[in-house]
Amino acid sequence: MPSEYEALVAALKLTDIPFAEYGWKTRPEGSYGVVTLDFEAGTATGDDQKLDRSWEASVDVFFSKISERNDIIETVEEVLEEICGSSWALNSNQYESSTGLFHLEWVCVLIDTPEPEEEPEAETQTQSAAGGEG
Amino acid sequence: MPYTMKMEGIEELSTMLNEMGNQAEKVASVSLYEGAAEMVAEVKSKVRQIKTERFHYTVFGQRKPSPEEKDALQAIEAGIARFDKNGSEVNTSVGYSGAGYVITGYGKVKAVAQIANAINSGTSFMQKQPFFRRAVSSGTKKAERAIKDVIEANYQALIDYNNGGKTE
Repeated sequence: MPSEYEALVAALKLTDIPFAEYGWKTRPEGSYGVVTLDFEAGTATGDDQKLDRSWEASVDVFFSKISERNDIIETVEEVLEEICGSSWALNSNQYESSTGLFHLEWVCVLIDTPEPEEEPEAETQTQSAAGGEG
Repeated sequence: MPYTMKMEGIEELSTMLNEMGNQAEKVASVSLYEGAAEMVAEVKSKVRQIKTERFHYTVFGQRKPSPEEKDALQAIEAGIARFDKNGSEVNTSVGYSGAGYVITGYGKVKAVAQIANAINSGTSFMQKQPFFRRAVSSGTKKAERAIKDVIEANYQALIDYNNGGKTE
């Protein structure tokens, strides 16, 4: 799981909008959000392993009152700006006539850079020094 | 939602096209057609991966599209790629806009574009399966390669023709 995605979920859960990952089991009251890690969008390889990986994630908010729209946009985009920098966009803006809900969807790209492994250089030196003494 | 494809190395291709003179417009159009064909193939391959099920409402927000809805997307063989010619400018777009209407379950008439959008972005009662975003993500490089191949092949043919049919 990319660390940026975990940070995004945590930041969205701190907002006034109730957020859940990968959907809800029952319909929440009022407006609600869903955050989803969609798919791996790209990868940079080297030394026979994956180095940097990019992922596409999406943030959906459903709400019934049009008066809430501006506040929701401001809240979500502030979080996206903080976590994803400039790599996000409002992807779709829909109205569901069957439920009367408005639906906004943002898409963002998250980068997952693995932390470099610590080189056991110091340990090797100690071992060789110990071997020398023996 | 329109997705814009950006190409790298366009300056080099632009130079080649400029040197082609009156053939440039035709070559550019053909290259775009080939690029769009690659993207269409990618969209179709992702449509085939859409998971379907019969309607049920037991789990809120987790419904999958019906087989009829998937069939509606698969049935759009021609017309998914559109070309607009405006003077010497040629634009192409790939998508379900203007793809017509179908009759789905319970005799409802739905626009194909609406079905595609609902599956791609999800709704309050249906989980999202972003097939189009996946296609754009994985198809961009293939489309770029197809566009470059056409331009480079025609440029090489022009050089060969100017050299009297002799290749170096």
